[in-house]
Amino acid sequence: MQQFSDSKIGDLLKKLGVFGTTSIVTPNTILINNVDDKLYDLCRLLIEELDAYYSTSIGVDERPLNGSFAVYHVFVADKLGLYILVRLEASPSHPIVKSITPIIPGADWAEREVMDMIGVKFAGHPRPYRLILPYDWPSNIYPLRKDFDYNDKYPIKDKIDKVIHGSTEYVVDKEVLEEEYTAVPIGPYHPALHEPEYFEVYVDGEKIVDARYKGFFIHRGIEKIAETRLTYDQVPFIAERICGICGFTHSTAYCLAVENAAGINVPERANYIRSILLEIERIHSHLLWMGVAFHLLGYDTGFMIMWRIREKIMDLAEELTGNRKTYGANIVGGIRKRFDISEEKIPYIKRLLNSVKEEYLKYIDKIVSMTEIRKRTREVGILTHEDAKKYSVLGPHARASGINTDVRKYRPYAAYSEVDFKVPVRDEGDVYARIIVRHEEVLESISIISQLLDNLPKTPLRAEFDFIPEKRIGIGCTEAPRGEDLHFVITGYGNKVYRWRPRAPSYNNLASVPLMLRGEKLADAPIIIASIDPCFSCTDHVVVIDIKTGRRRKLVSR
Amino acid sequence: MNRFRILLQNIKRGVVTEKYPLEPIRVPESFRGKPVIDVDKCVGCGACVNACPPNALTLEEDLNEGIRYIKLFIGRCIYCGRCEEVCPFDAIHLTKEFELATTSKDDLYQIVGLRMYKCPICGKPYTTIRLVKKVIDKLPPEERSLVLICPDCREKITAANRSFARR
Repeated sequence: MQQFSDSKIGDLLKKLGVFGTTSIVTPNTILINNVDDKLYDLCRLLIEELDAYYSTSIGVDERPLNGSFAVYHVFVADKLGLYILVRLEASPSHPIVKSITPIIPGADWAEREVMDMIGVKFAGHPRPYRLILPYDWPSNIYPLRKDFDYNDKYPIKDKIDKVIHGSTEYVVDKEVLEEEYTAVPIGPYHPALHEPEYFEVYVDGEKIVDARYKGFFIHRGIEKIAETRLTYDQVPFIAERICGICGFTHSTAYCLAVENAAGINVPERANYIRSILLEIERIHSHLLWMGVAFHLLGYDTGFMIMWRIREKIMDLAEELTGNRKTYGANIVGGIRKRFDISEEKIPYIKRLLNSVKEEYLKYIDKIVSMTEIRKRTREVGILTHEDAKKYSVLGPHARASGINTDVRKYRPYAAYSEVDFKVPVRDEGDVYARIIVRHEEVLESISIISQLLDNLPKTPLRAEFDFIPEKRIGIGCTEAPRGEDLHFVITGYGNKVYRWRPRAPSYNNLASVPLMLRGEKLADAPIIIASIDPCFSCTDHVVVIDIKTGRRRKLVSR
Repeated sequence: MNRFRILLQNIKRGVVTEKYPLEPIRVPESFRGKPVIDVDKCVGCGACVNACPPNALTLEEDLNEGIRYIKLFIGRCIYCGRCEEVCPFDAIHLTKEFELATTSKDDLYQIVGLRMYKCPICGKPYTTIRLVKKVIDKLPPEERSLVLICPDCREKITAANRSFARR
């Protein structure tokens, strides 16, 4: 910790008397232990003085390691490029820790997830309701504890435990809402995104008064599978299947986390190829989103055009990786051999990208300058700068509300420190700004890929390492098309991870949707929901839909 | 006005969709399709089984008959190609075949059965004959005799040798 002794963060920690219990776990991550009653002061100082933001919380059953439960709060100091972990310990007999939700509203879901999955209670949480587990799950069984085997089955009871279920708060009182206003359900399937989610929108005539979100219908516990059944090299493949659109960013984040924990230096060429594939994925994701957005606005020609252009990018991905999606190129330590980009392919890729850029520019200016598109998106679904900060929203959604944040720029990973690009930021905070931010990002991505292709270094593709040390903490962070994607890993025994938790950007972004819906017209609700490019499966981190629990939900409706 | 320009551009462009499945579709060189095991090359070492993320490849042994089976079930396969990457004998390959829909589940299985080698001391089959042959060629002659014995018996012999040496 000596290197931090004279810095701002060192002074801050000394002031609170926790400097002695702070340790460096990896070069860009510090871990603060024994915070006790200084927790609120610490959180406040981190946010106010270091300009850090709260990212997520992770619960770990550390009883086999040191005899207690642990909760890690992750703070990100963007300016310093530093991850600050605040570790709280909970005794195995009375697992209770202090909640930080009263001072950081963004911690709401993450803390409730810990309550559901690990069984650590948070004292002072304003809404300690069930978030992830289904209604019929027994109330005293916690699936991510180590004494719960991955193939344990529990009889679904006839009599259901009284658990309160709900995802976001009501601003207006619930009784008043149900009495005086009409509830319009959007979901359980989104009309355009084809993913399960549920928005309950309360309307007064055409105007939206309040909205509530419910999700996590498709949680299938891939963390448990990874921790019990899969080896380090197998997890990237299940990580890639968290999302059907931005899967590669998840497997990269997982690999970065393990590599950080084990101190593996990835060879240059592998870093470059990772970046190239990540940018290809970003272009395809943004074009897909634009298509969906135009479709929701009723402009189907725009939808067809965007998807036609996207098809070329899909061909490119197929040419480079052998698959349109789920590339499968990542492995701990680098890139797999068959995903090398040969010299002969480079001119082809450049030609294709040029034609994509040409065609894209030909259409997009005409589309976004259309009166109808402007009228439907300008000053619709506004998220102010202050609210965006409060809910720690991420990615293009945050950039459209004037927050200058980008993992690629401020905490560079893979080969992003080698390239020159700018981060588009808009101040309006409306749907139109989100379209423009994504539009500019597509052009930046095309330029990043050609810069990377020009300087592709000649090194091996995978780092050589003997083994991955045990009980190390690692954080891997990537800029997914939707924002910061954070993976937390504790390495374990027998070639397996001890704890792995992915946190997709939509996890933070979704909480801001009810806020944007309030006061808007009902007809604008679909585009406002879609404007954050929500990825429900990412948030629930899952693969398959559980029809059974969906059905039971109806039986016990509120 | 923009609307009409876009319309004109689209008319100029013509049809962009392909007539698949009425006409065959081109797949790129690096396409990852159905994996196929080369029965002549497979020695049953099980490297692919260890690497396979979704457990599409499994290893089963029938000790009474003395046969080891490497089973590939395409229904579980995610076409990642890890098996191809780790195979030391180049015995499994991803092909360009992707039209795998079938009415019979049996079509999705590939099973390689390999005769196992019995330990000359205890008589228990412990590895395949092909693997023993491959390994024998690569070893110096003085070490060959130990490889031909199953791990359990080898342990006993080594232990006996050790205690003898200590005495």
